[in-house]
Amino acid sequence: MRLRTTLPLLVLAVAYAVISFFVTNSYYQLMMTLVLVWASFGLAWNLFSGYTGLISFGHAVFFGLGAYFTALGQIYFDFTPWLLIPVAALVGGAAGLLIGALTFRLRSHYFALAMLAYPLAILNVFMWLGYQELTIPMKHKGAVLYMQFTDGRMYTLIAIVMTVAIVILSQAVERSRFGMALIAIKQNEAAAEAAGINTLVWKLRAITLSGAITGAIGAFYVMVLLVVTPESVFGMLVSAQALTVTMFGGVGTVWGPLIGAAILIPTSQILQAKLGAQFPGIEGVIYGLAIIVVILSAPEGIFWRVRDKLRKRSGTTAVAEAVAIDVPTAGDAAPAASVSQSGGQIILSVRNLSKSFGGLKAVQNVSFDVQRGSILGIIGPNGAGKTTLFNLLNGFQHPDAGEVMLDGHSVFGVTPHRLCEAGVGRTFQVMRPFPRLTVAENVVIGAYVRAANDAEAREHAANAIARAGLTNVAHRVASELTTKELRLMELARALAGAPRLLLLDETLAGLGANEAAEVVTVLRALAKQGITIVIIEHTMHTMVRLVDRFVVLDHGAVLVEDTPQAITRDSRVIEAYLGTKWSAHA
Amino acid sequence: MKLGRRQFLASAGATALTASLSAPAVWAQGAKEVEVGLLVPLSGLYARFGTSCRQGAEMAVDRINKEGGIKSLGGAKMKLVVVDAGDTAEKAKSAAQRMVADYPNMVGVSGAYLSTLTLAASEVTERAKLPMLTLSYSDLITDRGFKYIFQTSATAASQAKQAMPVVLKVAKSAGGDPKTVAIITDNTAASVASVKPMREGLLAEVGLKIVVDETFTPPLADATPLVQKVRAARPDLLFFLPTVISDAKLVLEKMNEFGMGQGRVPTMAFGIAMFEPDMLQTMSPDLLQGMIGSIGSWGGKGHEGIASELKAKYKEPWVDQNVISTYGDFIVMRDALEKSGKADRESLATSLHTLDGGPSKYYPGGVIKFDEKGRRVDAGLAIIQWQSGTPVTIYPDSLAVAKPMWSKK
Repeated sequence: MRLRTTLPLLVLAVAYAVISFFVTNSYYQLMMTLVLVWASFGLAWNLFSGYTGLISFGHAVFFGLGAYFTALGQIYFDFTPWLLIPVAALVGGAAGLLIGALTFRLRSHYFALAMLAYPLAILNVFMWLGYQELTIPMKHKGAVLYMQFTDGRMYTLIAIVMTVAIVILSQAVERSRFGMALIAIKQNEAAAEAAGINTLVWKLRAITLSGAITGAIGAFYVMVLLVVTPESVFGMLVSAQALTVTMFGGVGTVWGPLIGAAILIPTSQILQAKLGAQFPGIEGVIYGLAIIVVILSAPEGIFWRVRDKLRKRSGTTAVAEAVAIDVPTAGDAAPAASVSQSGGQIILSVRNLSKSFGGLKAVQNVSFDVQRGSILGIIGPNGAGKTTLFNLLNGFQHPDAGEVMLDGHSVFGVTPHRLCEAGVGRTFQVMRPFPRLTVAENVVIGAYVRAANDAEAREHAANAIARAGLTNVAHRVASELTTKELRLMELARALAGAPRLLLLDETLAGLGANEAAEVVTVLRALAKQGITIVIIEHTMHTMVRLVDRFVVLDHGAVLVEDTPQAITRDSRVIEAYLGTKWSAHA
Repeated sequence: MKLGRRQFLASAGATALTASLSAPAVWAQGAKEVEVGLLVPLSGLYARFGTSCRQGAEMAVDRINKEGGIKSLGGAKMKLVVVDAGDTAEKAKSAAQRMVADYPNMVGVSGAYLSTLTLAASEVTERAKLPMLTLSYSDLITDRGFKYIFQTSATAASQAKQAMPVVLKVAKSAGGDPKTVAIITDNTAASVASVKPMREGLLAEVGLKIVVDETFTPPLADATPLVQKVRAARPDLLFFLPTVISDAKLVLEKMNEFGMGQGRVPTMAFGIAMFEPDMLQTMSPDLLQGMIGSIGSWGGKGHEGIASELKAKYKEPWVDQNVISTYGDFIVMRDALEKSGKADRESLATSLHTLDGGPSKYYPGGVIKFDEKGRRVDAGLAIIQWQSGTPVTIYPDSLAVAKPMWSKK
């Protein structure tokens, strides 16, 4: 698998080097270098923004710091860029860590806007410091020692080595726990936390690495340009360049920035060269229009568009093969139902739990216990406070009063990923799978919390997939799955972390009767294996066949707690669901 | 016979091909050409200024060729190659690289208007040993030990040093005697950089006392408080450094309203933007009347022919720094080529270094001679003033076309 992507990369790199060797026109040499500079920059941006989904409009800050560091190091200390470029990576990395620590409190577009501010602020700092224009001192002696080649091809060669290194690094990240964590953060940060991923730590690692690479690229860029101004390294257009090449080529893949830079950089250059003098500014118009057209027809970038096309062509047969999905019976999925179901041990204890939002008492004084190995259903009509209660159980919200005890320990104030480590798995009402990853890849994200290394994580994931009955579709990408399969995949992901307690949020919602029955079978098998399940549902229908006990909520309070048989006959429950008129008929 | 569309296109193509093949043969029969370049921003933020440079270059090359080309080269005609430098350092570097790669026979170039662009482009021209003339001000341009760069304007540091004494001289010649100054500046980087040395001694050196010093953040909502402070202090001179035209307009309108406009409080602005024809599209000439500016060069006495040609050919109302400086660059190149009698880069560079062309006709002050750094010897500056809707040169006397207007309180 590793060879499959590394080999074409090396072939491309060698081909690029050979072509550049035969290019004698110094302008085309420069172009070949700049394509790689911006491709590398796009790769570094992609490593952070592409994988985590946190759009950074401010990567110029790392680029510029690397650039200025290298320029000043040469002007004032006469250091060689061969030394300054690696150190510039450290500078960029440190800046990434600092900026991440300051900015990760903000989410989505707030994060993007905050990132925008850093390079603009630093740009003015450098202006104020009097560094409006710096030039790299020209070396007549020891030019090679100072990376000042007369032959432009040398820059291209360095750029090739740099780009290949960054691609290999990106791929290594992509395939490891690191990449999986970032992808999980991208699809749903809350779900990632619930899957045991310490999202803050991984995000910090990503922005530090991305900042370090960007710093080194900025440093190299200065050696190509030989002039540095705040606008040329901290400017809006610099940050935009990283976004443009990546979005154009394809976000979240190493090929995206390469494709984007290889097309866009020469195009803009040729347009300017051919039209700039005759129709000043026309190149900007054509360039802009071209980008708009591509973004409209391939919103995720050229790479994905082409890949989806190719997949569709060969994919029809793959789907046909995998049509027969076996429905696991309780026997199949339960290799050892040895764990005793009874025992009467209480795993989760809820005491006098209350939560208000302003004047609305969403949850009032709720108490109940869950026995180990049992299935508890929490039901109630719309607005009964089910979701709030659920969020209190899994640590996403803090109660105003009362407490939740897991095996006798309070979970109050415990972050979701710690709760996951403690053995609580959960699924989400709104499924957010990563559509381009396979089922196996989606599930492995949940496995890292219990795995020491990647191999162990894959083993846990395979096991979880088997228990959820998805082995037959494990290799399919999530976008091809049915709703039922997606629900089971979410379940498998939670299972991959080997939980003792599973919190399921409307897992049966939106399923047909037959599909729901299949999921029920899977869940019952899990309970037999000793996993305690708490499931929230809006409807009672299928739940009757699933759960051991019901807690019925109404207006935020426990209406009644009893067995399914008792609940279905309880007039208070019927009244809560259907109104007094119906309870009279019952 | 009916001609099909495809056949028609094919035959048209063939005709065009024949025409293009025969063309070089025709040129070869005439005198040989000397390729010279103009590398200026023709797209983006600075396109307006680059376009002025281009007009100057075209007029100069036109004139040189009409006067019989370069006589020491057998009447070789100058051939102008115009290259768009774009609006960023990277674009300028790429453009320069493309220029030296695509035109190996080019012997000299003028460009690239903005210091940043010139710095980046000259890294390329220096390595290609292509002589470059520039009107950019940055001292750094000629502080790098380069051998193929020639700076025709006084450098920024030199202009800063010259400006104050020159302004006082102009004031005195018109009967004024400024002792106190007010400063109104916005807080953009360029403005702050210009004001800093004034506050730190440049004004004190010439005996000027700062009585009002106000910095504002663009855009200005109301200029009244600023202008009121100026009125209360009644300075002899106001330094005004806006970046945004709307801010400039607000302040000037308020000055006018308070009876300090139209030169009643002599006002000096910085930067070429305040003296471009575009200003008249947003402001009435009355508001600009009397405003003084200090600049690297400007059209004036002896440039009447250029001014009328510029008006006729390009519909531009006056000759600004970019037109006249670039015009001068090509005349200097011609003189240097004439002297060397060889059409190659190295000879032109040597010739420029050893040129002694006497008093400068197109740049203010000094002579047509370059020192070892490539700076024009004794390069001066021009003082201009808005008078009846036109910025006219009022200093130096050799270029001045009008007397300075100076309010005597």
